[in-house]
Amino acid sequence: MMGRYMLARAIGTVLMAVAVTLPTFLIIHLVPADPVQAQLGDLASADPEIVQAFRARWGLDRPVWEQYVIFLNGLAHGDLGISIATRRAVLDDIRDYAPATFELATAAAFLAVLVGLPLGVLAAIKRDTWIDHLARVVSLIGLSTPTFWLAFIVLALFYGGLKIAPSPGQLDPGAVPPERVTGLFLVDSLLVGDLETFRSALAHLILPASVLAASIIGIITRTTRAGMLEALNQDYIRVAHAKGLPSHTVVLRHALRNALIPVLTLGGLAYAQLLSGAVMTETIFSWPGLGRYAFESAVALDFPAILGITLLVALIYLIINLLVDLSYAIIDPRVARQ
Amino acid sequence: MLATRWRTRISLILFAVIPLLLATLSGIASTTGSTAAQDDALVLGLDISDTRTLDPHRQFDYSPPITEHAIYETLVTMEPGDYENVTPLLATSWELADDGAAWVFHLRPDVKFVSGNPMTAEDVKFSFERLVNLKDNPASLAENLKSTEVVDANTVKLVMNDKAQPLLNILISPNFAIVDSKTVQEQGGTSAAGADTADTATAWLDAHSAGTGPYQLDSWDRNSQIVLTANPNYWRAPASYPRVVLRHMSDSAAQLLALQRGDIDAALNLTPEQLDSVASDTNIKIEKGTSLDFIYVTLTSNAEQSEPLSNTAARQAVAAAIDYDGIIDGFLGGNATRPPTFIPVGLAGITPELTAEIGYHQDTEKAKQLLADAGLADGFSFDLYYANASVVGVSYQNIVQKIQADLAGVGITVNLMPTDQTQLITEYRAGHLPSVITFWNPDAPEPCLWASASVERVATRVGWTPPDSLLNTVTEACGSSDEAKRNELYGEYQRELVDLANYIILAQPIYRVATRTSISDYQLTAAGWQVNLYDIKPAS
Repeated sequence: MMGRYMLARAIGTVLMAVAVTLPTFLIIHLVPADPVQAQLGDLASADPEIVQAFRARWGLDRPVWEQYVIFLNGLAHGDLGISIATRRAVLDDIRDYAPATFELATAAAFLAVLVGLPLGVLAAIKRDTWIDHLARVVSLIGLSTPTFWLAFIVLALFYGGLKIAPSPGQLDPGAVPPERVTGLFLVDSLLVGDLETFRSALAHLILPASVLAASIIGIITRTTRAGMLEALNQDYIRVAHAKGLPSHTVVLRHALRNALIPVLTLGGLAYAQLLSGAVMTETIFSWPGLGRYAFESAVALDFPAILGITLLVALIYLIINLLVDLSYAIIDPRVARQ
Repeated sequence: MLATRWRTRISLILFAVIPLLLATLSGIASTTGSTAAQDDALVLGLDISDTRTLDPHRQFDYSPPITEHAIYETLVTMEPGDYENVTPLLATSWELADDGAAWVFHLRPDVKFVSGNPMTAEDVKFSFERLVNLKDNPASLAENLKSTEVVDANTVKLVMNDKAQPLLNILISPNFAIVDSKTVQEQGGTSAAGADTADTATAWLDAHSAGTGPYQLDSWDRNSQIVLTANPNYWRAPASYPRVVLRHMSDSAAQLLALQRGDIDAALNLTPEQLDSVASDTNIKIEKGTSLDFIYVTLTSNAEQSEPLSNTAARQAVAAAIDYDGIIDGFLGGNATRPPTFIPVGLAGITPELTAEIGYHQDTEKAKQLLADAGLADGFSFDLYYANASVVGVSYQNIVQKIQADLAGVGITVNLMPTDQTQLITEYRAGHLPSVITFWNPDAPEPCLWASASVERVATRVGWTPPDSLLNTVTEACGSSDEAKRNELYGEYQRELVDLANYIILAQPIYRVATRTSISDYQLTAAGWQVNLYDIKPAS
């Protein structure tokens, strides 16, 4: 039963992700701009032979439908094509930039949950006290502060002013990245037992991750609070209290568990959003991630890269949704039985 | 409702978490943060997001030449500030041959590549043929190179397609890098016809170098950093810094912070305001260099794009209404100069004095008179297209708003048309836009490249067909080896272009780089590679 469900969902996920590329493909071809012009220098753009070599190299001299078929054919063979801007396989580009984004987004999500969840629980059980107000202010500030501004302020304060944070980037200037296994600096440095690099990578990660976390702490706190308030008013909570269970058992095992479902749904979406790249944070912290790559590809009208990223982002959302759906069953056994 | 015990516990958790985070941050960071600047390495902070390849025969962007010029060398070069005189590098001497149809270069003996292979005429031939046959962006620079012939191991002959067209000055471009032909061939490189599909050396050249420069490429982590180390086989004295790190910092404010903290030795992309803000910092100094780049506005002659602009007097009125000094002082803090027209100051004997004499300057009375002459005494309106982007730290938006206000003063209405950069380039090159503000940066310091562009492909974009007499003047100037004669011809060309007012040059920026006082000899060059890393030394 569960196996079949999983298989159906997995197939659906892949089909959906591929389907998303069609509208993207059509839209980018509607833009009245020529990627070859964006790539060629002024002098080269006037040389028909060079222009022709460029068009042929990316199949841009073929009809639009044929270009899409070529893309699909490549996709079926695990090939996303060659980026017009970077001249490398899109898959290589993604492989280079995705780990930095994954590391950053995951650290941010971890921090957001670490702060947001207890804050939400506390705000609910201490409703309308100063703690609740504080939680509301923290959420609002996080939600409404523009990330680029917060990123810069945090950098200026901790790096420029207090001098306790390291320079922007994943490691110190000139430092040698750990030998690539996963591409995640924290993991790779531990794999080779290089604690110095691990510590440096962690230190460089904290500021950008905190900035990104700030943008989603609000969602986590507010949803947790709302969920907890609803749960705490349920009859089974009163029953649990009446049975004489300790308060923490009531709050954590009975109330929080039920309050977690909406948190998981929205938190999952927020995580997916972080995984698809955060351009401003990456720019200010010189973080070699996907956000910047996606932005540059869009600006340059780099068709293969744009399609590759679209596919990736679609997959991220679909997979996270799938994971969220599956985890409902763990939190709430009733879901699994349905 | 809740037991006190539970309440205390949650408060404890909450109040422990935040200080713990802060403590972790400071604890981890304090051990690594201050040791960031490495004593033996020169660290530059700059935006290298435009570095897409380090293959010298393919790269064509703004930041890669800094690296390329340090790891590869060309036959000849130019010194910072002097863009008229070609000086020796891998060639010790050169002369014209075959009645002016070819250049013969005598190569420096005993030069070795990083690999230890000796540099010979064969390497020159391979390099130039690869550049041409890859048919990538920079191949367009080699237009006038017909063939490269090996005369003997230390002599090479470059035959030109047209002896009236320039070649020598273009050879200083880092795209004419001499690569180690044996090594590059071993890595899949080829210089034969069909190299555009057959050559597979680029991936290797993105991670290694095969040149004769003072440095070699140690590593390139995309959008992160480029690390160079000294070339042990270098033919001159070794570079002062054994290592150079080009640290990617896409945000100029982050560059400024890193410079102030000493994590980087130079910040290359500061905005005019940021540069002004460090003027009083005793650990920081500002190096300047006049570029050969300019910000310009085009005005069409094509009545289909704009009926009023197709009238020469109306275009002249626009040129006479703009407050040039206001733009240069207001947006660039005075850090710019201005040529009369499409060839920058510093080439072909062009000086700011010449601009004062024959160039545009604001004269609103004259502008109104010109409008009246054009039969447009009540003014007119036109669309000015610009990119949502910045140039030398100034957004185009600000500049066009200033132009809009200036022209409103004489009754000309400017409709501002913000456009996506790629779309702007496409439409502009196709000649679809009545007026555009954009940027020109050179491929090599050869005045002919500007002059011929302005009467050929750029002329098409503004719907202008230059008269044969002007085309002849440009051709003659391009082929002239007598400097006085050449400058006179370019003077003639400039007067004619100024009079037609299709191109209005607003500013030729003086670039500024902020460096720590711990380094010296950071000289900006406009020849194409921003700075010569080999020259930079620790301050004594």
